[in-house]
Amino acid sequence: MTTVLKPQPTFQPDPATTCALAACEPGIRARIVALCCGSEEACRLRALGVSEGAPIEVIDRRHSMVVNVRGTRLALGSPLTATITVQPLALA
Amino acid sequence: MTTVPVPAPGAASGDAAATAPALRVAIIGNPNTGKTTLFNALTGLRQRVGNFAGVTVERVEGAFRLDDGRRVAVLDLPGSYSLSAGSPDEQIALEVLLGRDRDRWRPDVVLVVVDAVHLERNLFLTSQVMELGVPVVVALNQVDMAADEGIRIDVPELIHELGVTVVPTVAKTGEGLDALKRALFASATLPAPVRRFSLPPTVDAALAPLVGVLEADGIPAGAARMEALRLLSVRRHEVHLARVPGLDSGVRGAVDAVRAAGYNPERLEADARYAWIGQVTGRVLQRRERVAPSATDRIDAIALHRVWGPLCFVLLMAVVFQSVFTWATPIMDGIEGVLARVGEWIGARMPEGELRSLVVDGVIAGVGSVVVFLPQIAILFAFIGVLEQSGYMARAAFLVDRIMRRVGLHGQSFIPMLSGYACAVPGIMATRTISDPKDRLATIMVVPLMSCSARLPVYTLLIGAFVPATALVPGLGLQGAVMLLMYLLGTVTAFGVAALFKRTLLRGPARPMILELPPYRWPGMRSLGVSVAQRCRLFLQRAGTVILAISIVLWALATYPRLPDDPSLPEATRQERQLEHSALGHIGKAIEPAVRPLGYDWKIGVSIAASFAAREVFVSTMGTIYGVGSEDDRALRERLVGERSAVSGRPAYTPLVAVSLMVFYVYALMCISTVAITVREAGGGRLGWRWAGIQFGYMLVLAWVAAWLVYRGGLALGFAGAG
Repeated sequence: MTTVLKPQPTFQPDPATTCALAACEPGIRARIVALCCGSEEACRLRALGVSEGAPIEVIDRRHSMVVNVRGTRLALGSPLTATITVQPLALA
Repeated sequence: MTTVPVPAPGAASGDAAATAPALRVAIIGNPNTGKTTLFNALTGLRQRVGNFAGVTVERVEGAFRLDDGRRVAVLDLPGSYSLSAGSPDEQIALEVLLGRDRDRWRPDVVLVVVDAVHLERNLFLTSQVMELGVPVVVALNQVDMAADEGIRIDVPELIHELGVTVVPTVAKTGEGLDALKRALFASATLPAPVRRFSLPPTVDAALAPLVGVLEADGIPAGAARMEALRLLSVRRHEVHLARVPGLDSGVRGAVDAVRAAGYNPERLEADARYAWIGQVTGRVLQRRERVAPSATDRIDAIALHRVWGPLCFVLLMAVVFQSVFTWATPIMDGIEGVLARVGEWIGARMPEGELRSLVVDGVIAGVGSVVVFLPQIAILFAFIGVLEQSGYMARAAFLVDRIMRRVGLHGQSFIPMLSGYACAVPGIMATRTISDPKDRLATIMVVPLMSCSARLPVYTLLIGAFVPATALVPGLGLQGAVMLLMYLLGTVTAFGVAALFKRTLLRGPARPMILELPPYRWPGMRSLGVSVAQRCRLFLQRAGTVILAISIVLWALATYPRLPDDPSLPEATRQERQLEHSALGHIGKAIEPAVRPLGYDWKIGVSIAASFAAREVFVSTMGTIYGVGSEDDRALRERLVGERSAVSGRPAYTPLVAVSLMVFYVYALMCISTVAITVREAGGGRLGWRWAGIQFGYMLVLAWVAAWLVYRGGLALGFAGAG
């Protein structure tokens, strides 16, 4: 049995390099920095794998977005994607 | 029906009634893991569908026997991504697993179905379930798909990491099922698993008082630790914890203490579990780097395309509807033929008299008129099953999300509404996937506006009788177009009414869409067959109980009191006089003033009154009124067209009356099952009745006003009205 948790925040992003998920073009890979939505939505997102520190890939962007997180493809509504802060990693 | 010696209501399982199960297994898993397919493969057709006590989350229970004859009862828990999100489904799952279920169904073993393709995400729920103090077996399902995707899972290492039995399975083909059955028995005697990671000592200390509060209420130690961690991020009122004394202050204290220790309480559980999951998957999972886009990528490129996507969607829906009507016709004709022959056969063997009349005109005609629609229901549920299992249903919800958002709902309301085309009852039950209570209620309120299969008999009868079968364009006739128009009318109104509810009684912020788009897969034919058979059985049960009872009552109302027989009059006149003299005739006359402005006579009034409990009864009542037996659809149509007004001698029913009547049925909520399900789904008790009352009332008003507008508008435009 291992202790797996380190004091937070474990991942300290540079504010200049972070943006809203909604601003990411299709093909962009990013790391999730913060979920700034309501706590109910945040709870559901985390259960689906959309949690702080997880890599996320944008597949499609229109009124809402299609993303890949932890091998799962998710459709996220537009008000929500504006409240998810990510740090883009590189263009695919 | 015999009862099983288990205290669960609705848990009786036909053939295995005499023995208590040797083992009770609860199945849980993420949606789209093949959980239901696995359940169907384990239990086959030995299933019972009901509801969990007090809520309308669907409860499916089944059983299987081992080779040595021991019986295993299996409860299919609703698909859940976690035990944390607080939807009614997840609360039910948690209640059962903690032994706090009001039906007192305590599992001896929990079977967690894990999708091998999405191991990382699935381990989140698994890790929660593993802490509840019940032995766990993991079915690592869809290992074939994982292999196709280049995913390799080291099963012995996974067993080592989780500390529970893991059985690789392919539910669709039955692979691994025997090993799984043996593992379930073997695991029941093993100690329950425990948490496989530890929290920092400062966090453990911060949570200790809350754990104490939960343990004091009788929650076992491991489960109390799981609950304490979970409650940090959950802010909902949860039924199973409602009566834990000091819970609120305990949670508040824990949240403050965790924050003081330098951690974010909201994300603590997710961080801890995913950190552990990361270590596990690092050891057991090997993934081949993908170079080519997967089949799902390629299909989605079209299915979610901005132009092709909506086009495919509309085309697919058109195919579904077209097939429901065209494929079902020969089978329906066959059933009609068989029923007619049964009626003749019985008629010829029974002495002339009241009893024969009851059996032939009441029971066979009444129930037969409904059973005829079984093929359509089977085909529609088969299509919905295929769309769901293939993964397309989620794409459809994504495509319509934008339109749904305009009326204040979101894409997830689409699936209940689509199911509403088959039947409002499963449609309303499907709203349980919507987490926001106001969105859910707004969806419940409008689902019955989608034209369900019970309206079909009414539409079919009236269109067949009054709409000429001329072709508009190749492939689409006027009759089909009118039918489509009725479906459209209901659908468009549903959107309008939802928007109205969301702006008035159910005002609230629109919840954003969070929807998994599962990989495309071929539907499992066996599981599909079991699901369709299950739905058909429920439908037949209804036909055999509610509709049978209504048919008999109607027959009695239409037959008594008897008028002295006058053999000098022609048969048709005698029948009509008798009907007018009967109790049903009197009811119809009493209703007539209310329906006269819509162009209906007392006979239609009778049929509307009779069909308040179930719409399809309209057709059988018309059949009873005209004494033709509604299994003989053509004869009834001819009688309707030929019917003359007793006063003016002009046709009693014209195409305008038929259209007005169809519009009435598009809107009116005449279905006892829908009212019952709304009462329970909308909160039960007085609250549920209030919403069911609102639903029934607004739909009735809408039906009357719309039918009136159509009829009066039609008259003003010069169409012929009722005679």
